[in-house]
Amino acid sequence: MGGQACVLYGAAEFSRDTDIVTVTDADNLGRLQAAVDELRAESIAVPPFERQFLEAGHAVHFRCRLPGVEGMRLDVMAKIRGLPDFETLWNRRTTLEAADTVIDVLALPDLVTAKKTQRDKDWPMIGRLVEAHYAQHAPTVHDAMIDFWLRELRSPPILIDVAQAAPQACRKLTSVRPLLTLAAAGEEESLARALRAEEDAEREADRRYWAPLKRELEQLRRDRRQQVPDPPAE
Amino acid sequence: MVDIRSLVGDEWAEWYLMTPVQRLEETSKLWLTYRELGGSLDPEPDPQSPFYDPDEWRALALDGRAGVRLVRRCGI
Repeated sequence: MGGQACVLYGAAEFSRDTDIVTVTDADNLGRLQAAVDELRAESIAVPPFERQFLEAGHAVHFRCRLPGVEGMRLDVMAKIRGLPDFETLWNRRTTLEAADTVIDVLALPDLVTAKKTQRDKDWPMIGRLVEAHYAQHAPTVHDAMIDFWLRELRSPPILIDVAQAAPQACRKLTSVRPLLTLAAAGEEESLARALRAEEDAEREADRRYWAPLKRELEQLRRDRRQQVPDPPAE
Repeated sequence: MVDIRSLVGDEWAEWYLMTPVQRLEETSKLWLTYRELGGSLDPEPDPQSPFYDPDEWRALALDGRAGVRLVRRCGI
């Protein structure tokens, strides 16, 4: 669901880790533990690999020790801000086949939502995810794609182009994305400012979402440090 | 339709227009080169991430090296 998915969709060229989203029933967590064991992956940092933390929205971090993937980071989440439950995500996932390997990744609209975080680096990624989709599909466009572009494009020139080419769809969506009125009017500078304000609002929403979780993480770190015994006196 | 090459440049436009399988193959080559050059698999320190803890980031560095570290600077 992270950088690897962005590579497959065309928004990134390289990723150093793997992020997965999982369902948290006991059977599946058992299977995930078996896979983690097979990779000789160790839980690093807080929180520990426990259902309650995944269900609360935390990420659990692993590092693999199996030769061949040694050092590879694996991050696991079960709940992501703005996204529905796992079953819904799974039902609308994208599946790719390459070299006899099946790869399931978040659907593109879900990946875009997952990337709406407080971090600077995620916002250019969103822009490229949607731009790449536009570049790949503009010649064979259909209504669902126009809807997705109008909701998520972050490039003013492309958003203006789509809004003006599909005025009816644009009008329908102005209630959920008011800046589309600027796109329809071709006001590029005002649109760029409105996109920045939209981004700022999402980043603030993400900070608010994470505030209680960060407090929990800080408490877990304090607890863990207290459990570490002092080094022996010389 | 906007000319994507004029907007993002040839390199990104080419990447956008590959198939996912082609991108997977290309990123695998980059991965091998990166590892052969001794590239670290540790994430860059990201103080904006809700998971970021500077103490843990230093303690958990796989090889004890930062991706980039300061070894010398002028007096200012």
